[in-house]
Amino acid sequence: MISNLDTRTLPLRAILQHDLWGLCQSWLVRVWLAATALLAALVVMSNWVAVPSAPLIAMVLFPYLVFPWFLVVMMLGVNPTSGSRADAMADGFLCRPVTRYDCLLGTWLARVLLVWGVYLAVAVPVAAIVVFAKRPVADDGVTLYGVIAALIVVAVVLMLQVSLGFLMGTLLRRSLLAVVMLLLLWYPVNIVLHTFHLEELSPISLNQSLPTLLRQPWSEESEKPTANREDMEALAQQAAQFLSVLSGGAPQPAAKKPAFFEQSSYDDFSLLRVLLGYGIPTALSVALATVCFNRRDF
Amino acid sequence: MPPAIRTEHLTKIYGNRLIAVNDMTLTVPEGAIFGLLGPNGAGKTTTLRLLLGLQRPTAGRAEVFGNPCGANAVAVRRLIGYLPTHPNLPGNLRPVEYLDLLGKLCRLPREERKPRIASLLRAVGLLGLTDQRIENLSTGETTRLGIAASLVADPPLLIWDEPTAGLDPSARRFTLDLIREMGKTRTVVVATHILGDIDQICDHVGVVHEGRMIFCGTVRDMKRRLRRDDFSLDLEGSGDDLRRLAEQAGLVEGVKVRLQDERTLAVEILDGRPRSVALAEVLQLVEPNHLTLQTVQSGQNETEHAYLQLLQEEEAHGFQRFDFQPRHKDTAAEGNPSA
Repeated sequence: MISNLDTRTLPLRAILQHDLWGLCQSWLVRVWLAATALLAALVVMSNWVAVPSAPLIAMVLFPYLVFPWFLVVMMLGVNPTSGSRADAMADGFLCRPVTRYDCLLGTWLARVLLVWGVYLAVAVPVAAIVVFAKRPVADDGVTLYGVIAALIVVAVVLMLQVSLGFLMGTLLRRSLLAVVMLLLLWYPVNIVLHTFHLEELSPISLNQSLPTLLRQPWSEESEKPTANREDMEALAQQAAQFLSVLSGGAPQPAAKKPAFFEQSSYDDFSLLRVLLGYGIPTALSVALATVCFNRRDF
Repeated sequence: MPPAIRTEHLTKIYGNRLIAVNDMTLTVPEGAIFGLLGPNGAGKTTTLRLLLGLQRPTAGRAEVFGNPCGANAVAVRRLIGYLPTHPNLPGNLRPVEYLDLLGKLCRLPREERKPRIASLLRAVGLLGLTDQRIENLSTGETTRLGIAASLVADPPLLIWDEPTAGLDPSARRFTLDLIREMGKTRTVVVATHILGDIDQICDHVGVVHEGRMIFCGTVRDMKRRLRRDDFSLDLEGSGDDLRRLAEQAGLVEGVKVRLQDERTLAVEILDGRPRSVALAEVLQLVEPNHLTLQTVQSGQNETEHAYLQLLQEEEAHGFQRFDFQPRHKDTAAEGNPSA
């Protein structure tokens, strides 16, 4: 049975291996890897003595979520299903005894793995250095769980970017047009998400909430009780009201809890919600790209 | 036993604008060397890509050894070795790596794959270039690698799209010999617009014009159907002698002659007169008129002429080309001229 499975998945593994190897040899990927390492080093060194660990790691991850690395990631996604690469795919793979699903899945997976590889190759060492190195700033309580969760969140966003690139490349067939469409889609996404009260899923909000996530412990039990802080806030509010009453002024209204996007602490950040928020569009993009790819003429 | 290829009313229209394949019904018998002949843009490549499932038909259906063709028809593509025109191969790979990749795509186990690759590279004469990247190979070498690639899975049907395009004479000779050799054990379909190739290697031919199959049958049938009972006599001698010969030959029963140029006499034999007898009578007049016969050319052997005549007839049919016949009366294309 294992041998049968091995034979059945041989084309998929062959396409994945071939594409991954081809990507690793490309100049775009090599330059990107060098540039990410350089930028991360610059960000860390210039903020080494001033910024606490959580915001510093979030700053290192910012280029993947907002600018400029998302552009490279999307270009990598666009490439295999558009332009001359599509012809090479037809002559090289699709006229052989492989299904289009194998072909699409293999090339998509190769890009996702490559993007994750480049991202983790830089982000993991940088996060380790920032967390474990002795720096002249106060420890802001970054947890191992928080670091892993933050890295996973960014990895999921990168997977969505590759998938959107794939979808646009399949739909539009022209690489340049697909990249322009992706730019038009990615940047106004904050406004669209705000309209539907989904600000926490926007890349900028996500980046702002990363410091909170980085400080989160594995379980609620090990978290410092937040009731104390709430109690203190309630106590302060009561005291302020009492003083205003004594001084003859009107009592101040109780502060309304701000919306997710407006608050700076992002205490109600939900990892599951964010993973689903990016995971579901990823699945939809891949599914739609598959449908388009299946109906396409080469 | 199902035929190697069968299409029924296969039609491909791009975006309601361009009709690439027009109601094509075709049968390629197993074991044939089939030439798909037509001018550039006639729809040959589109037809082949429809068979491979690279394109989806607008209407009609296609089968390969009884298996329906389609985008995910792995069973069909397992039976086909495809060589595209000027194959777009991954330039960063070396020939062995490329063939190994294709072997994996064809699900060949390692122990079967490796010896076959070595054997194929030797057969196509690329054994000395295994350390070169594909991007550094010449056009002829790339085509030979493409040929090896089409044979990796040892398929029973080879579909080669213009395999001699851009090749030098020796590479062309090699490819034609190979097709002839392959035709002994496999069905081979060769799409080309080079009539000389068809003449040399094919036993069956399909002529495509503007996306439509205007003739499908054996090469012999095509020539017989378009037989022109005429000959060209290439003669050496004076112009006066040649004109005298033309006058005398014109008196032979059932023969019409005309001077093509200063040394060529065209002899047309009319219906009802045995060809050999009429020609012998004309030839008997050559020596008495102090002329020397250099060559005799028969119009019957000219595939080019037959092909061009087919295209002209097709054009001349005008609106008659519209298919008035009910669908169920379709004739099998094999051996029957469909024009």
